[in-house]
Amino acid sequence: MTVQSARARTTALAPYLLLLPALAATLLLLGWPLVKNGLLSFQNLNMRQLIQHLTEWNGLDNYAEVLSSPDFWRVTVRSVLFTGANVVLIMILGTLVGLLLARLGKRMRLTLLIGLVLAWAMPPIAAVTVYKWLFAQRFGVVNWVLDRLGFHSMADHNWLATQFSTFAVVTLLIVWQSIPFVAINLYAATTTIPKELYEAAALDGAGAWKSFTSVTVPFLRPFLYATTFLEIIWVFKAFTQVFAINEGGPNRLTEILPVYAYIEGFGNQHFGMGSAIALLTIVILLALTAYYLRIVLKQEEDEL
Amino acid sequence: MSRPRAASSVLRRVWPNALATVLTLVFVFPVYWMFATAFKPTGDIISEDPVWFPVDFTFEHFRTAVTADNFWTLVRNSVTVTVLAVLFSLVIGLLASFALARMRFRGRRGFIVAFMLAQMAPWEVMVIAIYLIVRDADMLNSLIPLTVFYMMMVLPFTLLTLRGFVGAIPKDLEESAMVDGCSRPQAFVKVILPLLAPGLMSTSLFGFITAWNEFPMVLILNKQAEAQTLPLWISKFQTVFGDDWGATMAASSLFAIPILLLFLFLQRKAVSGLTAGAVKG
Amino acid sequence: MKRKLIAAIGAAGLVVSVAACGSDDGKDAGADGFKGQTLTLWAMDGSTPDGWTKDVKAAFEKKTGAKLKIEIQQWNGIQQKLTTALSEESPPDVFEIGNTQTPAYAQTGGLAELDDLKKSIGADWTESLNKASVFDGKQYAAPWFAANRVVVYNKKVFKEAGVTEIPKTRAELFKAFDRIEAETDAEPIYMPGQNWYFFDGLTIGTGADLVKKKGDKWVSNLADPKVGEAMEIYQKYASYSTAPKDKDEATPQQAEVFAKGKTGAFIGMGWEAATAIKANPEIEKHIGYFTIPGETADKPEGVFLGGSNLAVAAGSEQQELAKEFLKIALSDKFEGQLSKELGVIPNKESLQHNLKGQPAGEAAAAAVASGGTTPLIPEWAAVENPPNPIKTYMTAVLNGKSHAAAAKQVEGEFNKRLAQKQ
Repeated sequence: MTVQSARARTTALAPYLLLLPALAATLLLLGWPLVKNGLLSFQNLNMRQLIQHLTEWNGLDNYAEVLSSPDFWRVTVRSVLFTGANVVLIMILGTLVGLLLARLGKRMRLTLLIGLVLAWAMPPIAAVTVYKWLFAQRFGVVNWVLDRLGFHSMADHNWLATQFSTFAVVTLLIVWQSIPFVAINLYAATTTIPKELYEAAALDGAGAWKSFTSVTVPFLRPFLYATTFLEIIWVFKAFTQVFAINEGGPNRLTEILPVYAYIEGFGNQHFGMGSAIALLTIVILLALTAYYLRIVLKQEEDEL
Repeated sequence: MSRPRAASSVLRRVWPNALATVLTLVFVFPVYWMFATAFKPTGDIISEDPVWFPVDFTFEHFRTAVTADNFWTLVRNSVTVTVLAVLFSLVIGLLASFALARMRFRGRRGFIVAFMLAQMAPWEVMVIAIYLIVRDADMLNSLIPLTVFYMMMVLPFTLLTLRGFVGAIPKDLEESAMVDGCSRPQAFVKVILPLLAPGLMSTSLFGFITAWNEFPMVLILNKQAEAQTLPLWISKFQTVFGDDWGATMAASSLFAIPILLLFLFLQRKAVSGLTAGAVKG
Repeated sequence: MKRKLIAAIGAAGLVVSVAACGSDDGKDAGADGFKGQTLTLWAMDGSTPDGWTKDVKAAFEKKTGAKLKIEIQQWNGIQQKLTTALSEESPPDVFEIGNTQTPAYAQTGGLAELDDLKKSIGADWTESLNKASVFDGKQYAAPWFAANRVVVYNKKVFKEAGVTEIPKTRAELFKAFDRIEAETDAEPIYMPGQNWYFFDGLTIGTGADLVKKKGDKWVSNLADPKVGEAMEIYQKYASYSTAPKDKDEATPQQAEVFAKGKTGAFIGMGWEAATAIKANPEIEKHIGYFTIPGETADKPEGVFLGGSNLAVAAGSEQQELAKEFLKIALSDKFEGQLSKELGVIPNKESLQHNLKGQPAGEAAAAAVASGGTTPLIPEWAAVENPPNPIKTYMTAVLNGKSHAAAAKQVEGEFNKRLAQKQ
């Protein structure tokens, strides 16, 4: 065996060696819980079984019950709409704020950046608590301000009384915390657009709008795709915000899939059922992101 | 450069600044309100007319929050778990991202998609499965399972984002280093790693937030107070007998401060590179 | 590792005792062989006042030679925490558990049977308090203390409105509220829409049952007119308040609202007054308490007896030591002391004298005889998990739905929870 071929072999093995820790971690720490979760989803596992370490297989019962429950489908549709609305708002507003950042003078930009970073960095647990406090029916600042502005009917308005306004508060919270990520990154991305591209566009007689659509947008497209993908995942899984603000209320009307799984499985201590919902949640999230994953698969084919 | 219509020019210059000012207020206010509330006496918190500035400054709520049982133990645990989880995910993620961004090999696409899928794991609802695994491994009330699971929660994001960063570094740099007699690992450490610093920082921010906030898992995995983390401490002040808003806000403030500082500190360096990572996706 | 070894022995002991159908001959050494052991007690936040804790620890240590470790538990997520803890190899030996949750845990096999303890020290436990600890004819927990709601009122506001006599009947109380409304700018009572335990008391007062048996299954009985009657009373209370209709008494904390001095009264636990005083020390001198008046002067309003039981984990390796602890904690001396320090109702009627001089406690004790609980069936625990359908029902009625329509609205969810597999 020559030194050369040994070296070639190492080079061939190198990527796998580099990937090994990540793969091992994923299999052990994610794969195993997923398999375990899968097994639990075929069991009747409640308080009694858990405490006594009993294993009671019940076949597809959990799935049959979940899938035949109108609640589950309602929650699914709601989750999709909720995710869609939030992601659209986040992406549009985030992009606009990002473009604004690019237009600002140095000092103003720094001010806004700091504001954005503060909102972004707020731990969700703390953020939810503050929002609950801002929108409290009595002694909440929002109602007080609305009252002062002349909307006297809002003086004692209960924001968490209806499905729509609860979602409105949750959406505000999520959009507020997500805009910074999109805006700051988008701003940073615009700074990397080569100036020559704009100059070339100007030479071709392009106005502000034209150069935006012909230079900025194409340049940012991959970034926008990637960010949208991330935001879909994050919003879809926004458990803390939705659960903590009103525990899925009123009337369980603001439960999205992760909250539904948690309340059914964990709150009501039907762990097998919860596991089944958890797996179905993953399937639905997969369906939602399939389009992007396909793009990635194709794109990776072209590269390298 | 002079413009014919001065008024419109002023307007043009003013509106971005005006808008930015309003936006800054919108983004800062909730954060401000948290800190302000924490410093107000309870009487000013539960008040018909909001007290905009904490005039009767009090540290009472902070005292309540800090003198809670085991506070410093929880701080230590939270810091340990978070820092270790982030460090591990950075190291493991960096190794993998280097392979994914730089090397050609069979199954590369499959790996990338697999990590994207891993990113979707709904951890909150998998808690009971994790609990049973940890219980049966006799590892309850230990910081190790927390650390490794938090590491796993952030690993896919870290890895994929770093892949973008690594990919954005011109290949010639590395090659020229290798021409200069560096081996590949040496080239990596000497040339690429410094360029990656912003990327490492920005991904670690995400990791910090995730690990710092985690609640459902630590709640049932670690029942002994000595092995718990700060999110459990915050929930202390919201009980069925009512919320102690002052203490909750004080606790939330203390809880948020490390992350806020970290962001302000790392953000400028991080942002410059984050795009490079994100663009590639 | 020693801990492991002990655990292994404990697990073996558990298998034996399960095989012997719950006969709980402990595997511990004799009564004086506890030296070096540590007993763990899970108590809820606020249940163990300092003086009591110190004295009980000392007495326990003196008698058994073992140490007592008290771990204070938060309410948030406590059920999940308890369920999982009971499945572990070293669960808390003794733990505090709500009376309404006891049946659900008793049927899981997680609680040790305590028949002999009841025989030796429990002959005169108050019947209405002990009921919740009995499941399938066996004793699975011991009543520790109870508390029920009273009217906490602002003497100044009442006086300003010209109300000088403490209302003795419901009608008198409402009359007082009318006067407060007319004479002062205070809110007569703070009554959010979901003070559900107060409502439960009202249903006990009207003699309503929240569930009924249909075949071998429990189903909702909310549509019962007696429930509607109770809800009408509740509605009358709520009509005097501008509190949120879909919130319970904890958000915002009613005592803090009361502390502003612009509220005539609220219905709550005696100790909530401390919260008010913390928010506004000025309020202390104006706070008074009285028993929630009923239909007639001779019988107070029905109240929910929120009770705390002490239970022993079936998986505990220290069954005998745990019982030794219960004998000490539940002795007349320490029951009395706890009652005195916390202002809670002790587990024996003969000990109620300890509440003398505590206006809140006395007001509460007067209603114990007309008190009750939620239905004592294992299925019940699921009903109260958020979102509690009865709270949903209450909000619906307060928002204008008829009793029948609101009861129908939540019936599906209610029955679903009652039918959940155990």
